[in-house]
This record gives sequence, structure tokens and C-alpha cells, in this order.
Amino acid sequence: MAAAFGGLLSLPSWAQQWTPETVAGSPLLSALEESTLADLAETIIPETDIPGAKSLGVPAYIQKIVNDCMDTKAQETLKNGLYTVSDLAQKSSGGKTFSGMDTNQRLNFLNQLNAGADEETKDFFKLVKSLTIRGFTTSEYFQTNINHYQLVPGFYHGCVPVSTGK
Amino acid sequence: MTILESTAANQYDAIVVGSGISGGWAAKELTKHGLRTLVLERGRDVKHVTDYPTGMMSPWEFEHRTQLPLEIKEANPIVSKCYAFYEGSTHFFVKDAEHPYVQEKPFDWIRGYQVGGKSLLWARQTQRWSDFDFEGPARDGFAVDWPIRYADIAPWYSYVEKFAGISGNKDGLPNLPDGEFQKPHEMNCVEDYFQKQIASKYKDRNVIQGRCAHLTEPKDIHFQQGRAQCQHRTICERGCPFGGYFSSNASTIPWAAKTGKMTLRPHSVVHSIIYDEKKGKATGVRVIDANTKKMTEYYARIIFVNAAALNTNLVLLNSTSNRFPNGLGNDSGVLGKYVAFHNYRATISAEYDGFLDMKTEGRRPNSPYIPRFRNVHKQETNFLRGYAAGFNAGRGTYTNQDGIGADLKKNLMNPSWGGWHVGSHMMGETIPKENSTVQLDPNKKDPFGIPQLAINMFYDDNDEKMIKDFHEQFTEMYTAAGFKNIRTRDSKQAPGLDIHEMGGVRMGKDPKTSMLNKWNQLHACKNVFVTDGASMTSTSTQNPSLTYMALTARAVDYAVKEMKKQNL
Ligand SMILES: Cc1cc2nc3c(=O)[nH]c(=O)nc-3n(C[C@H](O)[C@H](O)[C@H](O)COP(=O)(O)OP(=O)(O)OC[C@H]3O[C@@H](n4cnc5c(N)ncnc54)[C@H](O)[C@@H]3O)c2cc1C
Ligand code: SF4
Repeated sequence: MAAAFGGLLSLPSWAQQWTPETVAGSPLLSALEESTLADLAETIIPETDIPGAKSLGVPAYIQKIVNDCMDTKAQETLKNGLYTVSDLAQKSSGGKTFSGMDTNQRLNFLNQLNAGADEETKDFFKLVKSLTIRGFTTSEYFQTNINHYQLVPGFYHGCVPVSTGK
Repeated sequence: MTILESTAANQYDAIVVGSGISGGWAAKELTKHGLRTLVLERGRDVKHVTDYPTGMMSPWEFEHRTQLPLEIKEANPIVSKCYAFYEGSTHFFVKDAEHPYVQEKPFDWIRGYQVGGKSLLWARQTQRWSDFDFEGPARDGFAVDWPIRYADIAPWYSYVEKFAGISGNKDGLPNLPDGEFQKPHEMNCVEDYFQKQIASKYKDRNVIQGRCAHLTEPKDIHFQQGRAQCQHRTICERGCPFGGYFSSNASTIPWAAKTGKMTLRPHSVVHSIIYDEKKGKATGVRVIDANTKKMTEYYARIIFVNAAALNTNLVLLNSTSNRFPNGLGNDSGVLGKYVAFHNYRATISAEYDGFLDMKTEGRRPNSPYIPRFRNVHKQETNFLRGYAAGFNAGRGTYTNQDGIGADLKKNLMNPSWGGWHVGSHMMGETIPKENSTVQLDPNKKDPFGIPQLAINMFYDDNDEKMIKDFHEQFTEMYTAAGFKNIRTRDSKQAPGLDIHEMGGVRMGKDPKTSMLNKWNQLHACKNVFVTDGASMTSTSTQNPSLTYMALTARAVDYAVKEMKKQNL
């Protein structure tokens, strides 16, 4: 039924399925910061037998939301935090960038960062983590495969045993 | 503006101002009787299905996954407060800067200016009013007596319900008359449990399923409209391609168009109604083209003003002449006074730890309702009138979000069921007062050169007492049902967000104290009818739009009969 109506609708161009490409060139972050953000998100939600943050476009989602939906304070938190991460990563690993570390090193580094005393860095980490989770759980992959989202369910059942179904 | 295009081409049998819920009905009923009808709508045209750009989008297809960009929020502090305003629906709401008004007291005016008006956005709750509502002012001594009773409007409720398609249960309650219902939506375990608890503990309180304008069992008349069964998508405020809920766009406007008698003119801002002193009646309207700003006059034998409550006040206030220097039909001086609204400030939530082996599936565009139980049969509290309430129970999922990496991901993929939570919000009747007003601002003009509306509506002591009582009574009811962690809240929101503003052109028996007679006809200018919220003498606790529809159909029926008798 949905398909039957779909053809009648004229969707605005941005309403075609959202992809990382549509947000490329965000003015907020430099190329280095972008790749650090992408690796951060991927460390928080890595690729396993199902897609991780990077392949689901989460880094671009984070930039889009921080850029368009959040205030300048959040934008600064993101930018400064990415700078701090790059800086600390190089210091603590003898010159390696965050992206240059392997998975275990990244995990250790982030856990240390989060355990540290610096409030600003903690805020940054909280921001990136919560947006990574949101980007992941609102992605088409998660919504259709895990959440079983359907535009047209056509029903409401008020009392279903938990043990049945999904 | 000097040379008016006042040719025969501008002559109609009837003019309808506004194409929203009430204007759509006026158009449908007038054209049904063969009247050549001009429908004037200030906003753009919105065609059913083709003009619902977000109607078939999944959440991840939105640029910001339905979240509002900060720029839009900051540019629209008023409309952003409305719960239904989000990335998927912004195109159907009036933006703050485009149509300014004056807040003498804080008032969040939520509007939809387009063909269909707010019928695209509403939450579709359609409860009939009862004699306890129509007798309210006379019994409790406020405003003026309504010139009608439930029996006057009951057949018209049936008439509009059958066409619009309303779902609900026949509950047999005197304070909430039953209607023509299609099958009701389902209640869930906890709602059902609460219903039984309340029924066993109180003889005068009921938890029922909400009555709402959704096709749960479409009939022939709905298929003829091109509408189909509601698919429970719960994204109605984007426009429903199935016509699953009632909107002017899916129902009355195309129906009127099919008669060949309707001329729909979007981008037409009605400036005022023309009164002819020699003829002693209104002869037409002045319209400003929203694009060219050019003024044109259109003429008709009768005029229905359905611009939504406050805009209808504005149009009448702006219609001045030697005969009516203070606004059309305003001999009584009450035009723009006694405006009122619904009190939606208070909410109460809680948790329930039963039924942990049960959950819900799917979505439901409706929720249960608790009809007014305070002061119904007699005055019994320290405040006047009462409140109804929405109620709903639901069960969400919970995920552990600790840590990072593969473990976190695994947790996110395996949410567990949280407990049941319940919530209610009050819908209180506010009392229309003489000093609760809308007026034309003497200095400020809108972008069309029309005076801005200055709004002066406010909560009073009666409302504060009612909020307290709602919290107390619902705390008691929740406690009796064994709900835990009860939390009461007063949003302190300004009037307006309820989107049930009413009055200013009230009905009444006496032309000295009211604007309209029992047929929604201006006492002092008989060929002008007002059948939207402006005509309400008092506000009741039920959602109002179904009543606007019924009053409109009834008034058209009367107007047509009067025209045949050459009285109009
Ligand atoms: C989010 C939301 C939820 C709601 N929920 C409910 C609910 O559950 N139940 C309920 O009963 N009600 C509900 N309402 C209220 C309901 O939408 C209104 O009561 C109803 O739409 C009023 O009908 P109307 O015809 O008076 O006005 P509208 O539907 O607003 O239509 C008025 C039309 O007139 C046009 N107009 C205004 N001024 C002029 C002018 N000068 N010239 C030409 N055209 C003009 C406007 O552009 C508009 O199209 C809700 C509203 C909203 C926004
Ligand atoms: S819930 Fe029903 S009416 Fe609302 S959008 Fe879905 S199908 Fe349409």
C-alpha cells in the first residue's frame, strides 16, 4: 500500500535517503578533526558482524546535528574536544594520532580520558558518545532490523505476552 | 486599490472565509444545496496526498532525523512550543515572524494558514458536548445563557460524525453523549486495569476510550470520498495519504469541489466584510491577494465567517462602517470580549509494576479519556465547572548504555522491557470574562496593512484551584489503582498552547449581550454567519472542533431555508 502512494509524492531533494555525502564539507570541522571524530564514533560502536558507526554514517550525523541543531557551546565542545584528543593521543602514544592507534589502544585511551579529571574533556566525550548512540539507533539499519520499524503497521495490540514475537 | 474589480464575475451565492475544519463544512453544505460558493483562504493550496511532502517518510529520511534545527527554533519561539511542531510538520504551521500579533498578556497563538487550516494538524479527539455544557453559564451564573441545548445540535452531531468517520465506544454516559461510532481503538492491559479500578471505586468517574476522527471501519460514504482505513501510522500531522483521519483536505473540500459549485481561492486574505447601509445587510468581502497585495471585492448573498476563533474576531472588528463603527454586528459592544480557552497546564505521571509479562505492539493514534466528574450535577467544589482528562499507559524498552565498544553495541542491540508508565493531562473549562479580550491594535499593522490582533487572555484563580484539584483527585485515583512514583507537574504554560481558543462573537438569546442568535447568525446583520470557535458562549471541557462542524452544518441548513423563503 505504501508503494502505491509513494509515487504520488514529490519529495524535496534532501528528503531522498540521507547519506554522508549530503553533509560533506561541513564548515565546522577540518579534515583531520573529521577523521578523528569518525574513528571515535567507530571505537564507541565498532563494526562487528553487523555494521558499525562508520558504515552507518554516524560521524556525518553527529556533525549535522551539532552544526544545525545545537548551540555554539556544543559546537565548541566538539571542536575543542577533537583538538584535545588529537593532542593527547600524540603525547601519550609517542607521536601516533588517535586514528593511528589500534582498537585496543583506542579503547584504553578513551577509557583513561573519561576517567580523568578534566570536566571539559568529559563533557566532550559524553556528547560524542550520546550522539553516536543516537545516530546508530536512529539509523535505517537499526530501525528496520532491530527496532522493526514499519511506516504502516496497521494495528495496535494492547496486551501481548512479552514472550512472543520480536 | 481604487479601481475595484467589481464585475459580475465576482458575484457568488455564498462566500466562506477560511477552509479549515469549520470552513470546509460550510463549503460542503452550501455547495450541496447548489449554491455557487467562493471559499477564500489566506494561505496556499494544499492538495490531498500530493501536497504532503513528508507524509510517506521514515524517520531516518529526514535531514535531522525529525529533530528541529536550532535556527528554526530560535526564529520561532512561539510555535516551537507546540508538541506537534517538528522537522516533519513545520510546513503546516504559521511561522512566528510571518504573521505578527500583540501579546498584551502571554499567549502562544498556534495557527495553520493553508487550505485545510489546522485540520491537518489536529489531534482528532471528537467528544460531543452535553447539556451539562450548554446549561453551564445559566446554572453557574457566568457569561450568558446559550441559546441552544443538546437536543438542538444532537442530530447535527450525528450528521457530521457519519460523514467524518468517528471511532469510539457507546459508553452510555449522560455527561458525554454517545455518537455514531465506528469500532473503538483497543485499550492496553494497564488502561483496561485502570478502567476497572476506577469503575469499582467511584460511581461517578469513568475511564473510556477516546472518540476520535479516524476511520477504523470505513463505510461507503468514506470510500466515496476516496478515503481508506486508518493504518495506525501516528504521523497524522504530516497529512495522511490514506485519508485515515478527517481533514478538510481529505474530506469536505474535495467533496465540495466535486459538485462543481465551489471556487477555491487560496492566497486570499480577507480584510473585512462590506456592509451596505441602504440594503441593511452585508454584500461581500474585501480581499487582499497575498502575493500581489492588490485588493478585490467579492459579493454574495450570504457570508460564512470561518477563519478560526481569533481571526474571525479580527475580521469582524476590522469590518467597520457608519452603521457599525465598532465592528460588524457589534451593537452590544461584546465583540472581542469573553474569549476563553482550555486549561491544559497540569499533568500527572506514575509507574505501575503489574503486567510485567505483557507488552503492546503497533501504534495507536488515540488514547483513553476521562470525562468531567467535578460539579457535573451540582456545584460541589470551591471552583466553578470542571475538567476532563486524557489518560494513557505504555511500556518502553530500556538499554544499558554503559561502556564503549563491542559490549555497548551488544547492549544497544538487545533492549529489555522497562516497566509500565502512565500519564494524564487535564483539559479544564475556563470561564469567559468580559475583560478577557481580543482587540485591534491601534498602531501596529500586519504585512497586509491590516491591524494586528492584540490578545489579552489569562488564567484566573478558578483555574489555579482546578489545577490543584486535578492533582489531588488524580493522585487519589492513581494511589487507589496502586500506581507508584506519582509525579505532578504544572507546566505554567501561557494560554494558547491548548489551541482551543473560543468566544468573542458569542451566541446568546439577547442582542444586547451577545453577537449571534441560536442559528449562529449575527443578530444585527442577518446574512452573516459565524460557526467556528468564535461563536462559543462557554468552553466546556471537551475538545471543540466536532461542535464547530455540527453548528456549521446546522447553520447552513437554516441559511438555505431562509434564502428560499426570501428572508436573506
Ligand atoms: C496540534 C493540534 C492539536 C489539536 N487537537 C485537537 C483535538 O484533538 N480535537 C479538537 O477538537 N481540536 C483540536 N485542535 C484544534 C482544531 O484544530 C481547531 O479547533 C480547528 O481546526 C478549528 O477549526 P476552524 O475552522 O475554526 O479553524 P482552522 O481549521 O484553523 O481554519 C481556519 C482557516 O481560516 C484561514 N484564515 C484565517 N484568517 C483568514 C482571513 N483573514 N482570510 C482568509 N482566510 C483566513 C486560515 O488560514 C485557516 O486555513 C488541535 C489543533 C492543533 C494545532
Ligand atoms: S494514524 Fe491513521 S490517520 Fe494518522 S497518518 Fe496514520 S493512517 Fe493516517
